[in-house]
Amino acid sequence: MASFVPTSEETVEDQRLYTQARLVEVECLDCLARVGVKKNSEHQTSVQWTAEAQAQCPDLVRRKSAADGARLVHARCPRLAASIEAAVADGRIQIGAEDGY
Amino acid sequence: MADPTTQTRTLDHGTQPERFARGWHCLGLASEFKDGKPHSVEAFGGKLVVWENTKGELGVLDGYCRHMGGDLTQGTVKGDEVGCPFHDWRWGADGRCKQIPYARRVPLRARTKAYETVIRNDSLLIWHDPEGSKADYDILPPELPDVSNREVYTDWIWNTVPIKGSHCRELIDNVVDMAHFYYVHFAFPTDFRNVFEDHTATQYMASKGRPDVAGGYGDADMFLKSEATYYGPAYMINWLEVDYKGFVTEVILINSHIPTGPDSFLLQYGITVKKPEGLDDKTANFIGKKYADMFGDGFLQDVAIWENKAPVQNPLLCEEDGPVYQLRRWYEQFYVDVADIEPEMRARFEFEVDTTKANEFWHEEVAENLRRIEAEKASEPVETSEGVS
Ligand code: FES
Ligand SMILES: [Fe+2]
Repeated sequence: MASFVPTSEETVEDQRLYTQARLVEVECLDCLARVGVKKNSEHQTSVQWTAEAQAQCPDLVRRKSAADGARLVHARCPRLAASIEAAVADGRIQIGAEDGY
Repeated sequence: MADPTTQTRTLDHGTQPERFARGWHCLGLASEFKDGKPHSVEAFGGKLVVWENTKGELGVLDGYCRHMGGDLTQGTVKGDEVGCPFHDWRWGADGRCKQIPYARRVPLRARTKAYETVIRNDSLLIWHDPEGSKADYDILPPELPDVSNREVYTDWIWNTVPIKGSHCRELIDNVVDMAHFYYVHFAFPTDFRNVFEDHTATQYMASKGRPDVAGGYGDADMFLKSEATYYGPAYMINWLEVDYKGFVTEVILINSHIPTGPDSFLLQYGITVKKPEGLDDKTANFIGKKYADMFGDGFLQDVAIWENKAPVQNPLLCEEDGPVYQLRRWYEQFYVDVADIEPEMRARFEFEVDTTKANEFWHEEVAENLRRIEAEKASEPVETSEGVS
């Protein structure tokens, strides 16, 4: 059943721009999980995971099964963060937005 | 397509969902319902009846009797059942009619809508699903250690605010809205992060009060560290560390809501404070009250915006804004049939926003405001001990 339904085609295009455009695939140097990364500026990072990538990252898997996982699950994986930094240093990820997305 | 940079942009109001979210919803502090009377709670476009049975358990049913539509919330608790004010049919918490005092038999079909209930963190939670599924106990919000222990935490301060004219998604949008903390709540966000995964959506924020305005979180001596997670569509736990002039208090804020209609909801928030070592109860409760007032003010600042804004399906974002579209994609999972949930609605998404640029602008603006306030003060008549009184 439909929920919040946009009434214009352009909204659908906006949804695509903001959630998918400019995502660059980065592979974790340790666990090889593949995520989509976008950086609108030096200190801003979006990371889009997939279920497969999540299952592949030992860090996320371990924290999810931990007893107090309810809060821990939110920390990011340091190895993936390092891999993203390396990709930025190599110039594989463009920094800067395109008209806000 | 026409060139979007020369075209006038329009707001897409969209159409609102015809249903209410699936998930656990909090009806308020459990103790509120334990006075031997049936209680009325507006929810999901109708009304529910809540009462306590002889074992101290709470029952929740649709508010209207399946006999002739009597209002059960105006009935009487009789033993374990709630009796209808119209013809005294007795309804049990399992949704079955147990007894009709003037009849030999209860019709086999005398079943009404019953909600599965759980007491969590001193509150009554019920499972709502338009598809009528069994409650999912695996996705209950976590139990907060010691929160029911009055030696460790102060009494809950619980408040409700009815909101008219806004869909409850406006409240959810706050999770990603970094900039509104400066404009609406008078705080500089110094650190901001979001993580969405499965049925949870989290916001981490560190902030500092603005020195140029009072009210909300505006206070230069106030530093907040906040971690807030929605467990499902309507129940958020917010762990807060409030540092006021070096005095650190641990605060737990529950932010929940019940949708009451297609564009109305009841906002509920509860606050409890971990009693600081060496402080007597009176002082601890005073601190609790102070923070309840402060966060209450914060909600009212939001309410003023919501009640006047237009709904928008196509927000236009700048590069410093938070991931509104990803958050709404996450929120959508609670409004579609389980079979229609897309993997990306639940896939993990992380976002870190750069607050440095925004803060440079904001600090300049605040400095300018402070200069203006100083100048205004200087031009007022000077008060002396024997002067203006
Ligand atoms: S309507 Fe409820 S008992 Fe008749
Ligand atoms: Fe807000």
